[in-house]
Amino acid sequence: MMHIKPILAALKRHKAGTILIAMQIALTLAIVCNAVFIIHQRLERVQRPTGMDEADVMAIHSIFVGLADNNAGPLIQADLQALRQLPGVQDAVSINSYPLRGGGWSTGVRTDVDAKDSKAHTTQYFADERVLATMGLKLVAGRNFRADEIVQADPQSVPDPSIVIVSKALADKMYPDGSGLGKPIYIGDTKKPTTIIGIVERLGVPWNSVWSDDFYENSLIQPVQLTGPFTNYLIRSKPGQLESVMKAAPAALVKANRMRVISKERGVRSFAQIRDDAYKGDKGMAILMSVVCLVLLGVTAAGIVGLTSFWVGQRRKQIGVRRALGATKRDILSYFLTENLLIGVVGVVIGALLAIGMNLWLVTQFEMARLSLVYVLIGVVALLLLGQGAVLAPALRASRVSPVEATRSV
Amino acid sequence: MLKMTHLSKVYRTEVVETYALRDFNINVNEGEFVAVTGPSGSGKTTFLTIAGLLETFTGGQYHLDGVEVSNLNDNERSRIRNEKIGFIFQAFNLIPDLNVFDNVEVPLRYRGMKTAERKERIMNALERVGLASRAKHYPAELSGGQQQRVAIARALAGSPRLLLADEPTGNLDTQMARGVMELLEEIHREGATIVMVTHDPELAARAQRNVHIIDGQVVDLAEDPRFHHAVTSARAGSPA
Amino acid sequence: MFAYYLQLGLRSLRKNPLLTLLMVLAIGCGVAASMTTYSVFRATSNNPIPDKSSQLFVPQIDNWGPESTQHNKGEPPNAMSYTDAINLMRDKRAKRQTALYPAQMSIVPTDPSMLPFRETSYAWYTDAFAMFDIPMLYGHPWTANEDESHAAVVVIGKELNEKMFNGVNSVGKNINLNGRDYRIVGVADRWNPEPVFYDVTNTNGFDDPIEVFMPFTRAVELQTATNGNNNCSHDPGKGWDSWIRSECVWLGFWAELPTKSEADAYRSYLNGYAAEQQRSGRFRWAPNNRLRNVTEWLEYQKVVPQEAKVSLMVSLGFLLICLVNTVGLLLAKFMRRSSEIGVRRALGAPRKEIYLQFLIEAAAVGLAGGVVGLLLTGLGVMGVSLVFEPDVAKLAKLDLSLVLLTMLVAVLTTVLAAFYPTWRAAQVQPAWQLKSN
Repeated sequence: MMHIKPILAALKRHKAGTILIAMQIALTLAIVCNAVFIIHQRLERVQRPTGMDEADVMAIHSIFVGLADNNAGPLIQADLQALRQLPGVQDAVSINSYPLRGGGWSTGVRTDVDAKDSKAHTTQYFADERVLATMGLKLVAGRNFRADEIVQADPQSVPDPSIVIVSKALADKMYPDGSGLGKPIYIGDTKKPTTIIGIVERLGVPWNSVWSDDFYENSLIQPVQLTGPFTNYLIRSKPGQLESVMKAAPAALVKANRMRVISKERGVRSFAQIRDDAYKGDKGMAILMSVVCLVLLGVTAAGIVGLTSFWVGQRRKQIGVRRALGATKRDILSYFLTENLLIGVVGVVIGALLAIGMNLWLVTQFEMARLSLVYVLIGVVALLLLGQGAVLAPALRASRVSPVEATRSV
Repeated sequence: MLKMTHLSKVYRTEVVETYALRDFNINVNEGEFVAVTGPSGSGKTTFLTIAGLLETFTGGQYHLDGVEVSNLNDNERSRIRNEKIGFIFQAFNLIPDLNVFDNVEVPLRYRGMKTAERKERIMNALERVGLASRAKHYPAELSGGQQQRVAIARALAGSPRLLLADEPTGNLDTQMARGVMELLEEIHREGATIVMVTHDPELAARAQRNVHIIDGQVVDLAEDPRFHHAVTSARAGSPA
Repeated sequence: MFAYYLQLGLRSLRKNPLLTLLMVLAIGCGVAASMTTYSVFRATSNNPIPDKSSQLFVPQIDNWGPESTQHNKGEPPNAMSYTDAINLMRDKRAKRQTALYPAQMSIVPTDPSMLPFRETSYAWYTDAFAMFDIPMLYGHPWTANEDESHAAVVVIGKELNEKMFNGVNSVGKNINLNGRDYRIVGVADRWNPEPVFYDVTNTNGFDDPIEVFMPFTRAVELQTATNGNNNCSHDPGKGWDSWIRSECVWLGFWAELPTKSEADAYRSYLNGYAAEQQRSGRFRWAPNNRLRNVTEWLEYQKVVPQEAKVSLMVSLGFLLICLVNTVGLLLAKFMRRSSEIGVRRALGAPRKEIYLQFLIEAAAVGLAGGVVGLLLTGLGVMGVSLVFEPDVAKLAKLDLSLVLLTMLVAVLTTVLAAFYPTWRAAQVQPAWQLKSN
């Protein structure tokens, strides 16, 4: 092991370079830690399940032209009939929204009729009894709706339902001991109780932005068929036939009724596309941050190589003298490695503080979570290793300086 | 031309003060060729750097061409170096990235000369040292003697009043050294004032006048008892 | 001397191609990252109506009370109930004013072979055209009388006019919206403010241009639902009539108040109005109103996407690191030439000239970095659609001002980074050479 004192003495004479490398390591650590943290958070969101069996599902957004909120019911029934009869279609349902769609209904729910504040926030889905099969939801308790329980309702005047199917997350939130089945809940500011008749394992909300994160799996399904001119058809194809259904379904709808608009851009989408669209921003952010991190680490490594090479060049004679005085190649090599390690340690200590400070600032400015210290620790180790790796080439070159250099005068 | 009276130069560190020059007096007249000799560490190089305005001094006076230089600022000193002084270094000090022509051009550039005049002066100076045909070569492609000739051409191109040479032949073999020495003598004959620092008595002997420095002071060789010892140590040949 | 130093600089850069490349790439990457994200930031933080941004105001009236607003730092709802909007329209205390909402409109082509389609449609009062400086291609906006008579008239956008009437003057012709005929009174020229300040609440600031403008009174009479958000603090009850009488908020409102005194007067009018509502028993709380101009409104509604801010921040940090890196590399590069500097100083170069020589060399590096940065920025701008919503991403473009800015930032920052190394270079003593040899 080298003596650290002479290294410190030498570094004192290269204050500027030492400070620059330490600063670069510190800033890099601060940014990379926060960037990796953001990447990880985004990727976690992207991988969140919706509770649906997403393969073989597609969605069509359809708007009837010139109809009021209360008279599209029969047309929607006709549409559903046409869709369900299509070859390749396993099931279809009309619903106000679906996971990852981006827009939908939400409300507070209570367990105590007199409570002022709601106990949880939840999204509301309105669909008939085929919704579980179409979405591929897993019923873990209770039962599905029966066809005769479905009511037709104008979206302006949805009646408070007497029964509802909820996601397990919502059920557990309302009744933490797991006894939600069969219990009453109060939707919105109604006084009328609604009984939980079924619990599905998981069902996500239509939103995927940060504001919905704290109720991401709180969903309920009401046995209601809306009669407004706007509707979404969720269609499940028979395995492997999604592609042909994607073509046939919109055509069948236009054939059933021409007075409708199906948007060219987002009117007809497979669930894979829906997922892609929903998480485009998150994925993009993750890609952007990854690129920034990689380039940043490269730049920092390059900076270390550059400055260390300069130092080695400057100290060739000195190194020659040391070699002449009996220093082994290993001694020279470990001299430069130790030197870099010292600078690196100072850099990562400052960098760790910076990383935490930066995260605290981001937390106050944006809806961001606290940085876990694990990221900082990993970052510290990674940057120290990066420094050692970067210094290796110039240090090896230094170790190959011949003792003859000591005798050269220029 | 060059007159130093009671000049001193002190290097201070936290621990000690070292006098490099102490009560130093010298007078070089216009047109003289003076050799400055002395053992290693006697202060001859310090003398030269102060004479060339490369460094400031601690006390006393220095008149260069009638001007007292101690109060000049960095810019004024730069200008005097550029216009009145030519340097010839032991290690040649050519800029390796520039070819011969461009090297000789450097001082002229700082004088803000027109391109045509620069070119004429450079070619004249190179012809004078016999290297006009090597104008496009880089220093690394030349021998030591040729490099020193380029350095001399660079010193001459600006027509300085005073040439300062520090061991000009120190890095050259005997034959090349002789050539460089002959060139200096020729330049002197044409009227330049030359101050040359050397530890080589043979070279010193070719100058008009010898000044000997020991322990930071000019000494009279004939009278100083330290003389014999000094010459012995100088001959022992520790480089400057 | 400039040309001389440039030549020297380029020569020196060529001599160490790897080091030079490293610096150029570092600067290029740093500049490109910040410029790419800046292009998005610039688009989203743009002032959409510079001449009037301090004259157009959004009034907010607290019709929900502290029980609801406490969740939003006491801020009143960011949209208006029908009751308040109509009362404000009736009182007419601003030079111009309008209530507005995005209406659900489908266009039914006369050609039976074409399917119905949707365009962005807004229902508002005719004042809006003058307030928002909407240029007209043909015809005029409808009249105030037509507002009052709920007339079946529309102004259509240029694109829709191209699509439906091949771009000829369609004023006087009819167009079928949601199955009913409307008489076209005007065709608006292209009007696409970025961000779409007039309806931030529903669009987050970015949407396609409006192609159908219709009288607010007509849209409400036909019970045309909003295409935007509807927020209720309590169950509004059943049906359209109870909905528009409810405290649900779903309308935008704009008032043009050209002078400060007019704005102040409007402010006190709003307070008076709310106090009156309190007296009548509709509000059971003290007046809690806001009146924000365009700039304040966009700021309050956080139109600049979080992504744009975070990535701009990260990119600036990135640029900073690249610069620290450049400082180090330039330092190494310049100090490696300290013997040259010593010789130049000895030969009479004043410090000033050393500064000049090395700063010009750095500027050359910066310029090269700028060129690389420009190429990467071009790529980056193409790639922003990966990160941002398509509505936002398409606003980011590499125009002349961005090109100039990229070069300027590259050169300026590099020269800035070169200050310290150059200062060090200029400190090299001319005597150094004589001594060390």
